[in-house]
Amino acid sequence: MLDSLPLLTLITLSPLLGIIVLLFIPKDNGKWIKFVGIAATIIPLLLCLGLYAAFDRGASDMQFKDEFSWIKVPLNQEWLNETVDSYFYELKFTLGVDGISLPLVLMTALIVLMAALAAVHIKKRWKAFYIWFLILQIGMFGVFLANDLILFFIFFEITLVPTFFLIAIWGYKDRERSANRFLIYNGVGSAIMLVAFLILVATAGFQAMETENGTQLSYSGDLAVIERNLNDDNSYANVEPLFPMANPFYMSDGLKWMLFIMLLIAFGIKLPIFPFHTWMLRVHAEAPPPLVMIHSGILLKMGAYGLIRFGVSLFPEQAQSWAMVLAVLGLINIIYGALLAFVQQEFKLLLAYSSISHMGIVLLGIAAWNEVGWQGAMIQLVSHGFISALFFLLVGVLYERTQTTELAELGGLAKSIPFASGIILVAGLASLGLPGLSGFVGEILSFIGLFGSMPVLAAIGALGIIFTAAYVLRGVLKITFGPMPDRFENIRDARFIEALPMVTLVAFILLIGIYPAVISDPMSQTIQNLMTRIGG
Amino acid sequence: MDAVYSQYAWLIPLFPLLAFVILVSMGRHMKTLGAYTSIIAVAISFVLSILLFAERMSGDVNDYAWNGFTWVAGGEFTLTMGFEINNLNALMLLVVTLVSLLVNIYSKEYMRDDERINVFYAYVSLFTFSMLALVMSENLLQLYIFWELVGVCSFLLIGFWYYKPEAKAAAKKAFIVTRIGDVGLFIAILLLFWYVPNHALDFSSIHNAVETNQIPAGVLTLIALLIFIGAIGKSGQFPLHTWLPDAMEGPTPISALIHAATMVAAGVYLVARTYDVFTPEALTVVAWVGAFTAIFAATIAVAQNDLKRVLAYSTISQLGYMMMAMGIGTAAAYAAGMFHLFTHAFFKALLFLGAGSVIHAIQKQDIREMGGLGKTMKVTMWTFAIGTLALAGLVPFSGFWSKDAILTEAYDHHPALFVVGLIAAFFTAFYMARLFFLVFAGEKRSEYKAQENNGWMTVPLVILAVLAVVSGFVHMPNLPWLGEWLTGASMADHTSWLVIVLSNIVAIAGLLLGWTMYGKKPVAEDPLSAGVPQLYRLLNRKYYIDEIYHALFVVPLRAIGHVLQLIDSYIVAGAVNLVSGTVLLVGKGGRRAQNGQVQTYGLITLLGFIAFVVLIVGRRYFHVG
Repeated sequence: MLDSLPLLTLITLSPLLGIIVLLFIPKDNGKWIKFVGIAATIIPLLLCLGLYAAFDRGASDMQFKDEFSWIKVPLNQEWLNETVDSYFYELKFTLGVDGISLPLVLMTALIVLMAALAAVHIKKRWKAFYIWFLILQIGMFGVFLANDLILFFIFFEITLVPTFFLIAIWGYKDRERSANRFLIYNGVGSAIMLVAFLILVATAGFQAMETENGTQLSYSGDLAVIERNLNDDNSYANVEPLFPMANPFYMSDGLKWMLFIMLLIAFGIKLPIFPFHTWMLRVHAEAPPPLVMIHSGILLKMGAYGLIRFGVSLFPEQAQSWAMVLAVLGLINIIYGALLAFVQQEFKLLLAYSSISHMGIVLLGIAAWNEVGWQGAMIQLVSHGFISALFFLLVGVLYERTQTTELAELGGLAKSIPFASGIILVAGLASLGLPGLSGFVGEILSFIGLFGSMPVLAAIGALGIIFTAAYVLRGVLKITFGPMPDRFENIRDARFIEALPMVTLVAFILLIGIYPAVISDPMSQTIQNLMTRIGG
Repeated sequence: MDAVYSQYAWLIPLFPLLAFVILVSMGRHMKTLGAYTSIIAVAISFVLSILLFAERMSGDVNDYAWNGFTWVAGGEFTLTMGFEINNLNALMLLVVTLVSLLVNIYSKEYMRDDERINVFYAYVSLFTFSMLALVMSENLLQLYIFWELVGVCSFLLIGFWYYKPEAKAAAKKAFIVTRIGDVGLFIAILLLFWYVPNHALDFSSIHNAVETNQIPAGVLTLIALLIFIGAIGKSGQFPLHTWLPDAMEGPTPISALIHAATMVAAGVYLVARTYDVFTPEALTVVAWVGAFTAIFAATIAVAQNDLKRVLAYSTISQLGYMMMAMGIGTAAAYAAGMFHLFTHAFFKALLFLGAGSVIHAIQKQDIREMGGLGKTMKVTMWTFAIGTLALAGLVPFSGFWSKDAILTEAYDHHPALFVVGLIAAFFTAFYMARLFFLVFAGEKRSEYKAQENNGWMTVPLVILAVLAVVSGFVHMPNLPWLGEWLTGASMADHTSWLVIVLSNIVAIAGLLLGWTMYGKKPVAEDPLSAGVPQLYRLLNRKYYIDEIYHALFVVPLRAIGHVLQLIDSYIVAGAVNLVSGTVLLVGKGGRRAQNGQVQTYGLITLLGFIAFVVLIVGRRYFHVG
């Protein structure tokens, strides 16, 4: 049954339903707005669960492809001879899911629901909040499902706008400056990405097809087309012309290198890779917690996803010969993030630096350039998504009660809010890679992978897990252990609506920790295929 | 013979796990039922362990292994989980369930007034589960998983009284210091993954890979040393011993269970289980680290005044003995090391629970404030005395037999180790005599009312006291049943009367010296601190190791962090601001161009037009795209 439906399109656009309903609710009716806002995120989750169930684990290619021609731009045929029937650029609305995007899509649906629940603490303009929130979800689904470069770019941009408003309106004190900085910094990244994509469309995206009426020349950003052209030794992109202007579609090594580096920078900003990380510190500190759940949990993953999907799999030779560079960048992220997390005085900044450190592990896994490492990188992405979502859910709950996230002002909360404190501890243990929880799986697989190719770097990186333990425990124990200031005597433990997402997230962190095959199984074929294709 | 109980051995850790799940989800509403849940669960595990042990004792049953659970798999690798049963871990299962059962019973009284008693029992159950699963692990990765889990249980229980700053600091320290060791084990796993054929990590594959020389000798030594670093962390060996004394901030039953009998011995177990990879070079390192730790910690114990810390240093020292035995490298020494682990579990648990009995009665821990407790706390005193003699290594108590087995092997193969071991044995007898007499003899040195505790606490003491006497008889110089059963090697001719006599002389000398200094007449001030104050201070401050580490690692790392913070906020962020500043400046320039003057606009339009024309015309000649 699922096969006959345009499932991916439904998933991507399903938040629209919620938006439409919300438009008809008066803006003061907070209770209904929240109810609809939360309910609207359940539909995509159910669809995603269906997708997970119906996903064919034996296949390695894109599945559930939805494809239709969206925009067709005729191009100037003035200089072409008569055998050419048509000459155009086509933007296809192409969605597809494979083992790499499936876990991220499912994670997106889950975390968004959790964040919608966490948004009960939002104090003003609920209607606008939830509408932006649902638009953001559309953007994120689109990013992970798009099979067309330009479509990917459009969805990527769609995520920026709601994020900007969500920070600027509902954030903490310095929200407007942070939102501006977020937009400008990410805008620069997007611009670089767009240029790289356009060059790709203009070269590897070109194809000539013989039809009854003559040759059909077209440019497209379709990932399948671009991959086919890049892998086909006889395609225009790969045939070196006798003189430079004979084949304008030819991708020289220099061009490939430039594109790879452009993509590395564009997605490196999002990931973030040191030294492009400063913008995300402010977002972590100033954005409202439900948004940071999404930002740290999902939006950062778009960087790693883009790097794998476009950087690595379109330019495998460049990426492979830079594996060492990626590994060193990953190491810097791990150690730099950990050392800085260790000296932070504010819990949200500690978590921000911790994200930098954990994203370093993803880079290590990619740099490993083998199956184990890539599985590790992917599992680390999903795992960190859940863990950081849990952390910022807790930050919201804490701030609501204590009005502070300064470590110096917190302490001993295990006494007055034992349940929430227990969850903080679990989140901390997951974050420092305790076996049985999800963080460990991604970590050990990434390190095993990297050790196979660069043992010394892997061994150095492994030292990072000591630092991780040090900063996580410092932060977590400062909040929950020790003597408690009197003013926290009467604060309430988590309410049901707060405990529900906590328990759910913990359940998923446990599930992945105990039985990682639940996400590694569906992705295994895709990774194996990718590995053989690009020659690991 | 078919191994029947071995196949069902997975039930052994299951019951404590169930107890944990029940206690965590419903503990708040269970009142005293919580304690019983945990006790019954571990009692069932204990009974199953006895059945299993009996089966393995009955003769030639095959080792059993199952690894049907696929954890993560890909095209070229599969990581599985499962369990295995052999003589070595059957023995460990018995020890762990027995001590855990006794500690569970004891804690019901000891933790009676704590309102979070069910949280306590939840943690204890989780620990028991993890520890049992650790020794049953079928491969090194799985062992590592439970290795970390026992570590986190230890962390949780050290920090059980979370509101005490000392408990918080101790818990954090325990976790981080043992993690340093864990990284060693972690890297060893990475190495094995790439060196053992088929990326297998199970112990039999590792064994085969070593047997068939698939791993280069240098790498093998490296792997062994990395594994040993893990063992150093967990078993509190020098230089990673600093966490264990601080761990005494946890409730005393925990000190008995985790920080004396079971978890800290996991390091020794790890070395025993991965013995295949230990090359002679690696074994030498193991032996000397163990020997040094044995004597080093014993000297510190001499000058400690906290009842539990004396015992903690004693534990470190005794674990050093076990490591030393492992490092000697013969089958008999290996058996002796495991044998010492076995006897030590009972007499050290006994001593800790005895200490707990004292602390529970008078709510004090400083032995300088105690004295004369023997008059009122008869059961505690007598059982503690038995533990003291067993630890001192006096014939015929259990500690004698196991220590003798180690010293005999050292005497035969490494005379230098033998001398170190003998001196450490002297210190051991001395500090235990000091402890015993300061606590139980003489007159009380502060105000308290001492009263013997009830049966929940005394019965475990008595049982452990009996075990502290008889557990040595399973492996005697002419009847080395345990060793032969464990290793399958014959070791009946390993007897040295010289060692037996010498070790007893040393033990008696130590005890006598302790008695003359602390027991003969009531003492007001420690004669040691009065006699040799400099030495006393050096020992009392534990050779200033904590201070050295703080200055060497903590301070520089924090300083680096602060420096990086400055770099991050000023240089990295500054560079970004510079870029955006430049953009703004260009923008300002652009604004100046838009000054509302029609002539300027016209000029710009003209320039743009020319540029366009050039581009369009030029395109023909240059043919771009």
